[in-house]
Order: sequence, then structure tokens, then C-alpha cells
Amino acid sequence: MDIKDPIKRMDALAKARGETKYLSDYRFEGALYSRMLRSSIPRGRIVDIKLPALPEGYRLITYKDIPGKNALQMITADWPCFAETDVKFVGETIGLLVGPDRELLQKLFDQIEVEYEAQEPAITIAEGLACKGGAFLNGNNVHCSLSLQKGEDIEAVFSRAYRIVEQEITTGFQEHVYLETNAAVCTKEDGRFVIYASAQCPFYIRKSVCGLLGLKPDDIIVRQTATGGAFGGKEHFPDVLCGPLLVACYVTGKPVRLVFGREEDIANSVKRHPSRVRFKTALDKDGNILGMDSEVVYNVGAYLASSFVVLQRGCFHVTGCYSFPSERTKGIGVATNTYPSCAFRGFGAPQTLFAIETHMNYLASLLGKDPLEFKRRYLIKKGELTITSGPIIEDVKLVQMLEQVLKASGYAEKSKAYAIGSGKGIGLAFYNHGGAFTGNGESAIIKAHVKLVKHLGGPVEILCGQTEMGQGFQTALRKIAAQVLEIPPETVIYDNPDTSRVPDSGPTAASRSTMVVGNLVYKAALDMKRRIDAGEDGFEVETVYEHPEGYPWDQSTFQGVAYLGYGWGVCAVEVEIDKRTAEPVVKGIWTSHDVGHPIDELICHGQVNGGVVQGIGWASTELLQNIGGHFKQTSLSDYIIPTSMDTPTMSVEYVDNPYPWGPFGAKGMGELTFNGSAAAYVDAVSRAIGKTINAIPIPSEVIMDYMLDKEASR
Amino acid sequence: MNYVAFSLKQALEIRKATKARVMAGGTDLMVSAQRGEGMMPRFEGDMLLISHVDELRHIGFNASGELEIGALCTSAQIAGDSRVPWALRAAASRMGAVALRNCATIGGNIANASPKGDLPGPLYALDARVRLLSVDGAEEMLVSDFILGLKKTKLKDDQIIGAIIIPKMDEWFDYIFWHKIGTRRANAISKLTVTMAIKLDQQRKIVEDFRLSATACGAKTNRSREVESLVIGKKVQELEDLVAPVQEAFDKVISPRAMPVFRRTATKNMIADFFSRVARLPEERNME
Ligand SMILES: Cc1cc2nc3c(=O)[nH]c(=O)nc-3n(C[C@H](O)[C@H](O)[C@H](O)COP(=O)(O)OP(=O)(O)OC[C@H]3O[C@@H](n4cnc5c(N)ncnc54)[C@H](O)[C@@H]3O)c2cc1C
Repeated sequence: MDIKDPIKRMDALAKARGETKYLSDYRFEGALYSRMLRSSIPRGRIVDIKLPALPEGYRLITYKDIPGKNALQMITADWPCFAETDVKFVGETIGLLVGPDRELLQKLFDQIEVEYEAQEPAITIAEGLACKGGAFLNGNNVHCSLSLQKGEDIEAVFSRAYRIVEQEITTGFQEHVYLETNAAVCTKEDGRFVIYASAQCPFYIRKSVCGLLGLKPDDIIVRQTATGGAFGGKEHFPDVLCGPLLVACYVTGKPVRLVFGREEDIANSVKRHPSRVRFKTALDKDGNILGMDSEVVYNVGAYLASSFVVLQRGCFHVTGCYSFPSERTKGIGVATNTYPSCAFRGFGAPQTLFAIETHMNYLASLLGKDPLEFKRRYLIKKGELTITSGPIIEDVKLVQMLEQVLKASGYAEKSKAYAIGSGKGIGLAFYNHGGAFTGNGESAIIKAHVKLVKHLGGPVEILCGQTEMGQGFQTALRKIAAQVLEIPPETVIYDNPDTSRVPDSGPTAASRSTMVVGNLVYKAALDMKRRIDAGEDGFEVETVYEHPEGYPWDQSTFQGVAYLGYGWGVCAVEVEIDKRTAEPVVKGIWTSHDVGHPIDELICHGQVNGGVVQGIGWASTELLQNIGGHFKQTSLSDYIIPTSMDTPTMSVEYVDNPYPWGPFGAKGMGELTFNGSAAAYVDAVSRAIGKTINAIPIPSEVIMDYMLDKEASR
Repeated sequence: MNYVAFSLKQALEIRKATKARVMAGGTDLMVSAQRGEGMMPRFEGDMLLISHVDELRHIGFNASGELEIGALCTSAQIAGDSRVPWALRAAASRMGAVALRNCATIGGNIANASPKGDLPGPLYALDARVRLLSVDGAEEMLVSDFILGLKKTKLKDDQIIGAIIIPKMDEWFDYIFWHKIGTRRANAISKLTVTMAIKLDQQRKIVEDFRLSATACGAKTNRSREVESLVIGKKVQELEDLVAPVQEAFDKVISPRAMPVFRRTATKNMIADFFSRVARLPEERNME
């Protein structure tokens, strides 16, 4: 059997039958319910909190109850568990009202009044950079920044350029819309704090909240409960629930539970960073690109949390799948009074990948060239340098993938047949995604461990921190172990992680689980197989990540080999626009992906379907405005994600390109599949209406504006 | 108190005695009463569940040949009944998604009086009436008179909507146009819906009747007989010349607060599209 042959997913039956327990299904003896008291203004000072008379057993937990340090230790530790005097965004946690009866709790909660002294907020990127209302961070509202430069000095290139083209491209907020809203419980078992959470990264939670009580990570146990979707929205964000719950549990000595409602979750959780990318591109007189300069600005929100790393990845992907003789970029993470932005499938790469594809299309249309032919000339190849001045160290099979997509979609004929502005259009995008943590991060920061246990006379068990959140990893990882051990995958035990039982194998994020942790399990299984064959039983094998030699990376200068392996993608999207009403209909989607070697084609297929549709949603209907600090679309009837009715059957193909350090040649793919469809979709719409589009999302009313705008003609 | 009625008589009596608020499919009411995770929806005052009242679930022609649709008929039922005029079927078939269409009732859609509700548009254009029942008797009025504005109707506190009546028209209209611009293709709130209908004379030369209604561009569905009169009596061949005056006149009727350019432009474009298609006297009668 080839590992890519699909098997039945291990979690499918229980989920389909409704037997899987999610956090809100758990009952804890004597548990208290809780409601988060949050800032209702984007910026200001808390003057007073007026509480109703609280009956016995009800209590508002605030920063004053924290015995340790009032900080959530995400990648940085600037986001406090509870606001003290200042509030910096709508939704910032001020307190946690806890009590035994949900009805009474709600009644008391509704009577709390917070008095503020409001200040003028900065909401947009432009307002943040202009320090509207006065800077609230570092005197300039800049959370973080970086610069990269490859090849000849770009200023010198500009000075001899025949033509310089500038373009600004922007993207909006995006909400994750995981099926299961955020939820967690903190309790005490045998004298230790135990947190149950719907989460991607149990070890992150431990690290993040332990300091609140002056504890060490090991003092706290985190158990992941079945997680109904995450998309990055449960990478660091569960800390925002678990911190207050831990403090409340410490104060009350009781289990405390918090489950967000849907609207509460949309209004008060992290989002994808809005972005503004400005390109300045130098062309020679034949229309060849001599060099490209860019400025990448992400709206980080009030606290930095994980955003510097998001911004870095954005900058590393700003030249997309291309290589230009000279490249420069500057990244800025701007502070605003909006809910902090955080991880979201693609982790900063989608914004710049959308921007570069859109810019390349724009350049081609200015030059009167066919966009595909124009782009093809710059496709990066093995050995060529990326913007971090390190080489691509694998074969790049984009041309082969392009052939697959061209053949399946009829792109060539259609792009000729559908005249610009005809109401029909087909668009195409190239994209990639660097797998796992950047550079040597896997060895320098994560240092993943996994254990494989052969129970005496019993089954094999995988011990690692990787979480199932719907993506299929519990099936994929069992398959990897089982294939090596030559046993049926369903006999392998692999439970939701409990940090007191499993080694820290790093976060379930960065498309690293199959590629990195899967390989550690693969290696452990090889070792185990050898020992079983030699007659051994009842033993453990532990493996630790080692970074291959010869691919240096300097995290202080961001120079070197950023990624050992990329996922690569080509996607074509065909749309038809109703010229009367500007309504778009997606007529076809065709994809090819290089994921190394798929571990299970059906699971991969699910990732392609989901990622591509989520990307089109981001570009089309998922308008999420922030008005005066408040998200405007906070219900699923206002925040419009695509449905299956909006999505045609998708053509899903792969190229085989085994990755030497991945299990059975597999690379990461979870984020990759998100990264290109937005650009392909917008390209198609832009051709159909004959206008240059440089901002997303574009719901029909925005398409109408473009159609009526004579200036936007392409 | 919550009441459950098992017959129309019982429902009307409870309504009269308690003034309890009527609940049919509950798809608007339950959403409006939600209170957050794990807590039961809560209503102010008494509720009367009528979803078991089978007498209100029929579709059929009455003695005078008019089509009567019981107030408890669901969107799925309406969408699947070929006796129902196409525009109303189309509107019902595109409400929510499958599960919703099996619960949502036409009575609820009208009584809810949302400016974005899907069924009033075609009902306005068809001159449909609502029959209001109470212990003391029945009364009928045009749906367009019944709905007063945003979430406001003429429903009295002892009344229940019994049925919706669509007047008899010989073979209905010759051409019907209905188009909903939703936020997406399922579970979509209307951004704008336009219904139009044209009836021609026997020679197919003169417009005998014309109807035009638009939903989601004002506090309630818009229809104007004055605008319609610009077209009635005119030659089919003139229809394309009438596009501009009709558009202009209707533009003054609608009052979109949000996205005005989009809503006005799309309305105009749909009127123009319908007129130009009808002018060619095509075989196809239903247009989207
Ligand atoms: C997921 C979802 C999607 C939806 N999509 C759409 C859509 O696409 N288009 C659309 O138009 N609507 C939509 N709705 C709204 C709703 O489903 C409709 O308005 C539906 O027709 C309401 O009918 P109901 O029987 O459920 O009303 P209920 O919720 O039971 O009642 C609504 C109102 O009508 C009154 N009422 C109900 N029946 C009677 C009666 N016989 N006599 C007097 N008063 C009565 C009630 O007192 C209440 O005020 C959607 C709702 C949901 C939850």
C-alpha cells in the first residue's frame, strides 16, 4: 500500500455520530460559570467599575487577584491577562465574573457598569502610523519592523530604470469561523491546576499562563479536548481564556468554565492581520523587471503577541514564487486600537502572496503582456536565492504543475475567448508556503521531542503534543507509524495530548506537524521496528529534532535558508459576473499542489477544498469592518463565509516531489492551500469586469463600485 | 405561560384570552430570543405555539379560483407546489438552506415584517391578501397594507394570520421577473430583490398590467402604482423607451440607506434587462 492511499479517518465515526465530547459537553463537579467583562471602548482609562451587590459565591476576578505577573507569555509577553488602568482595544479583558448559577450570573453581569475616560483611538493602518490620538506605543506606534535586501542596491537599480511602477494593495480582517467557539475549563486535580481547552497548542498555554501564579510550566497540566476547528485562531488565543480561568480557579478553589457564544467569539477574538503592501518596481525598456522594492505594513492591533513572526513570514513571501535580480522589503507592524491580530492559516504569507500576484498581473497589463507568460519568466528555481539571500534547495515543479492546471482548466483557450470586461474571466496564481518554523527555528526554538511506546504485550502508542483539530492529523500520524511498523493504523493509540503525559513536540502550527513531527515518529518507528523484530517488547523510543547541516540561518539578520522545503501551488479560478447586479459566480476551480508526497490523498483533498474556499471567502464576501474599534459583522448572517452552494467541484491534483527530511517524502500543506486562491479569484474578476482591483474583499457592492469607476480600467 | 394549540379554534381562543405571542416555525423568534451559550431563549410575556394546527397547512384553490396558502405552509412546501406562481416559488426555494426551508412559514415571514424578508416582494407584486382570523371573525387586506414598516404590521393582539390569498389571474402573468441578490448562494440575506410582472393583451401588443416591487431597499418592500401606471396601456414595442422614465420614477420610491449606489444601480439594471427581454416577446416566461 502506498501511504497516500486514503483510509477511513480515525475520528470520523465518533464525530459523525455526535459521540465526540467537546469542551462544553464536559461536566465538572461544583464548577463555576464565568462571563468576561471586557472593554467597550477602544482606548481610554478605567475610572471605575460599579458592581451590583454580589451574592455569596459570586465574584469579579481582576488583575488585583493575580499573585504573579500580569502577562500572557505568548511569543512576547505584552498582552496582559487583565487590563489594569488603561484599555487599548474593544474587547480587552477587564475581569472575569464567576458564580455557580448561569442565570443569576448573567443578571449580575448585565448590571456591571464600567466608567471610562475615553481617548481618541487609531483604528486603521493609516491612523496607527499617523499616531492618531497620540502615539500609545514607543512614541511611533511601531510594534516591530524588519528590512531585507537581496542583490544589487535597489536605489541604484531605480536610478537606471527605464520605468518605475508603483502600486498599493490592501487586504482586510478575516475571522477564523472555526465550528466550535473558544472554550476552556480550569480545575484542580490532586493539588495541580489542570486546564482543559479547545486548543491547538497545549504547551503554549502552560507556558503562557504559569507566570500569573508564579508557577513553572510543569506545574500546570493542559489537556486538549476535541477541537472543532482552529485555523490559527486557537494557537495563542486560548491563553486569553485560560489565563483568567487559572486566576479564578486559584482564587475560588473551584473549577471555572468559560465557553464563548458565536457572536461573542467573532466580536472578541483575534483575526487575520489587515495589510497594506506598497510595491515599487523597476523595469527596463523591454519591460523586464530589474528589481522590486516593497513596504509591508500589518495592522497588529494593541498588543504584539505573535505578530512579529507573522510579519517576518509576510516579508519572506513578498516576492512570491519569483526571483528578481534585486529585491528589497521593509516590514512594519503597526499598533492600533483594534483587537490584536494573530495566527491565521498562512501566518502572514497570504497577504503578501496576494499582493505580489496582483502586482505581477498589474505590471503585465500595463506592459500589454500576457500575465501568465510574464510571470513564468521569473519563477524561482532550485539554487536561486530568495529574499533572505538563501537558496531554494529543492526542485521547483511549478512548470509541471502549471501544465496540469492548464490542461484541466482550459485556461489558454478561455483566457483568449473571454475578452477583458466581457463578464467572464479566468485567473491564475502561483503560490508557496515555507514549511515549519523559519530557518533553524525548529532546532533553536522548538526542539521537538516525540515518544513511541510499545506497551508490553500490547499496542503501540504515540506520545506527542500534536493536536487534531479537524485537519486529520490523528489519522495521518497513525498511518506513518503503522506503515513503518507494518501494523494496522487503527491499532495505534494516539490520544489528545495531556502535557503531563506527552513530550513537547512543539505547536500544531506552521504546517509543521506532518513534516517535522511526522518525521520524528517515522524515525522512532524505524527504530522500534528493528527492536521488535529483534524480539523486544515493552519499551519506549524517543526522538529529538535535528536540523540538517549545511543550511545556515541567522535569526538576527534574517539571512540564509528560510525554509528547507516549501509547499508549492498553482490555482486557476473561473468566474462569471452578472453585469446587471455585479454578482460573481465561481464557475470552476483547478489546482495542483506540491506537498512532497501526500500521506493520505483524501485528507489532503480536504485541505485543498477547505483552504481554497477559505481563500476565496477572504477575497470575496468576508467583509469585516472595524468601526470605531468595534467589529461590525459579528454574526454568521453578517459575516459571510462561502457555502457549498457557492463552490463548484474542484479539480485537485498533485506533483510528486519527495522531501528528503519528511516522512515518506511529505511536506507541509495546511496553510499552503489557503495562499493562492484569493489572487486567482481577484485576477478572474478583474479580467471579467476590465478593472484593476487592488483591495480585498470585493463583495458584489464593491465589484459594482469598480464597474462604475472609469479610473480603474485596466 | 407557554401554550401549545392543537386546533385553530383552540389557538384563536388562547390568543383572545391571553394575547400570547404566536410562534410558528420559530426561526425568527428563537434567534431573536437567544441569550448566549447554554442558556434557554427567553421571551417577554406569554407564547402560543401554533405549529401543530394542521388547518393552516394547506395550499389550494378556493371557490372563486383564488390560490390560498395556509399561514403554516413552509418554504419547502411552497417551493415544491406548481400551483404557486413562479416568483413566489422561486423566492421560497432560495430562503435559507434546506433545514430552514422545512421550518420557516409564510405567515411568519409576513408577520415578521423584515425589510429583507423574501416572500413579501412577490406577494406585493401579485396583489396578495392576508386573511386574519380571530374568535370574532375574519378580515382580509393586501399584504402591502398589512405590513406597516420595519417589524410593524396591522396584526391585532387577538388575531392570527390564517392564510395568504393570491388573486385569480388568467394564466397569471405573461412574463415574471424575480431576482434576489443575496449575500451568497445559500443562507443568504437579501441585499436587493426585484420582482416584476407583465401581462399582455390577447394580441401580445399592449401591456395590460405591470407590477414592480423591490425588497431590501427601504424600511419595507416598495411598490408604487404610480410607477406601474407609466407602463400600463403602453405598446410592447415601446418598453425599451420606458426604461428611463420607469427607472427614474422608481428611484424616487426606493430609499436604500446602506449601499445606495449599489442598490439603485442594480435596480435600474434589472428593470432595463426585463424590459428589453420582454420587448423581444420570448417564449421563456420566467426570468431571473
Ligand atoms: C438560518 C436562517 C436563515 C434564514 N434565511 C431567510 C431567508 O433567506 N429569507 C427570509 O425571508 N428569511 C429568512 N430567515 C428568517 C425566517 O426564517 C423567516 O422570516 C421565516 O419565514 C419566519 O417564519 P417562522 O414560522 O419561523 O416565524 P416565527 O419565528 O415563528 O415568527 C416570526 C414572527 O411572526 C409571527 N407569526 C408567525 N406566524 C404567525 C401567524 N400565523 N399569525 C400571526 N403571527 C405570526 C410571530 O409572532 C413572530 O413575530 C432565516 C432565518 C434563519 C434562522
